[in-house]
Amino acid sequence: MSAAGTLALAAVESLGAAALNWPFVGEAADWEFVFRNADYLGVGALLTIGLTFASILLGFLVGFPAGAVEVYGDGYLERAVNAAGIVLRGTPIVVILIVMYFVVGVPQINLGVASISSAVTAGILGLGLRSAAYQSQIFRAALSSVDAGQLEAGRSIGLSRFEAVRYVVVPQALRRSIPGFQNEFTIVLKDTSIVFAIGLAELLTRGYDLFSEQTTAVLEVILFISAIYFVLTFTTNRALDYLGTRYAIPEGESA
Amino acid sequence: MSDGDFLGVTDVSKWYGDDQVLHDVSFEMDRGDVTVLIGPSGSGKSTMLRCVNRLAEAQEGSIRLDGEEVLSPDIDVDDLRREVGMVFQGFNLFAHLTARGNVALGPRRVLGLSESESRERAAAQLDRVGLADQMDSYPAELSGGQQQRVGIARALAMEPKLMLFDEPTSALDPELIGEVLEVMHGLVDEGMTMLVVTHEMSFAREVADEIVFLDEGHVVERGPPEQLFERPEKERTGRFLERIESHD
Repeated sequence: MSAAGTLALAAVESLGAAALNWPFVGEAADWEFVFRNADYLGVGALLTIGLTFASILLGFLVGFPAGAVEVYGDGYLERAVNAAGIVLRGTPIVVILIVMYFVVGVPQINLGVASISSAVTAGILGLGLRSAAYQSQIFRAALSSVDAGQLEAGRSIGLSRFEAVRYVVVPQALRRSIPGFQNEFTIVLKDTSIVFAIGLAELLTRGYDLFSEQTTAVLEVILFISAIYFVLTFTTNRALDYLGTRYAIPEGESA
Repeated sequence: MSDGDFLGVTDVSKWYGDDQVLHDVSFEMDRGDVTVLIGPSGSGKSTMLRCVNRLAEAQEGSIRLDGEEVLSPDIDVDDLRREVGMVFQGFNLFAHLTARGNVALGPRRVLGLSESESRERAAAQLDRVGLADQMDSYPAELSGGQQQRVGIARALAMEPKLMLFDEPTSALDPELIGEVLEVMHGLVDEGMTMLVVTHEMSFAREVADEIVFLDEGHVVERGPPEQLFERPEKERTGRFLERIESHD
């Protein structure tokens, strides 16, 4: 039987075990196997978290100005930003990562206390730039959605164009971009698994490695990993919800 | 009649594409004057008003404000606008800021006052328009009339030498118009120089030094209210006033 077949069979058996005994709980031995390897998965989870936050941060730092350039810029800069976005959004993430790692060949980064391997650097750059391309569209839409009268009123009291955007439009646009940003965060979190293409073992890849080793534990491993993804997604989304509520613009009763 | 010492609008023309919306518009104001632009919708009166603070660009003519050519390409439009207050038909209050924040933004960021100075100035201006008790309200929590009064306070906080009003009561429910006109009356009494686009004919009649009647981008007729309202020289002016007054 092929390896894939064995795996599939293992999955079916594991599911069967779960169904027979207790919903979603397989053999005790399989759970024990998962917990014994919790550290191994934990390291993967840390890599997933690190990649996600670094990529989202890079995506924000590049994507927000890019969105602003698309709305307010003109000439070569606007066209260049627009073209870069189209290329990044139109290229499969695996290709972007492979280009970053094997073609661009980003170096290892030494931070004194720790060093970031060139694969991790490439992963952050690839995921981060692609996220920037998507985040730019979230911010572009949010900036465009702010009524033109707001900018005009800002200009009317003598604010420069930049100041009026900075003090009047951006604070409103950031609030409106939170739902889109929550989406993007969740997508990047789960897309970090693609760094396996450049040899990095984050949470999902490590899970795959584990249940390849003990093929009866497929469901247990997958459940365990899913729980970690769920906790990460849930907490960050709730944190962003809180941010949205905390900074919500009060609405009148009649408004 | 004004001699145009303060504001001199001379032969201003403007096009949107091939469509000419202002045809050689001219009028003058002295310091302390109140001039009211009237005319049917689409007559170019709002566009004319917006040319004065360069929110719209006139292609031809001259607008001299206090000795300076407003239409000159060398002028700093931000400097111009800090001296010319503007009140919008749709209020355009900064939606994310409280009433006080709305009024304080200009003094803080444009005039460079400290945080506490600008907040104090905002409080004083809101008090001036009768909103001392609404300082911490957000625009969406205020009535239209209150919002417009915040809009006026926001413009006044810059201590402008000229105030532009672009149909300040047109978006208001009838029962809210009075409170805004009352604030405007107060400014007239204080000697503020005001250029006003409005359909409030009784307000125009009471406070205007000069009425300018625009139609299809042309100044049809201008003069003191008693002349323009009682003895219009042009037939078109008379017809417009009849239509308006029948609604009052």
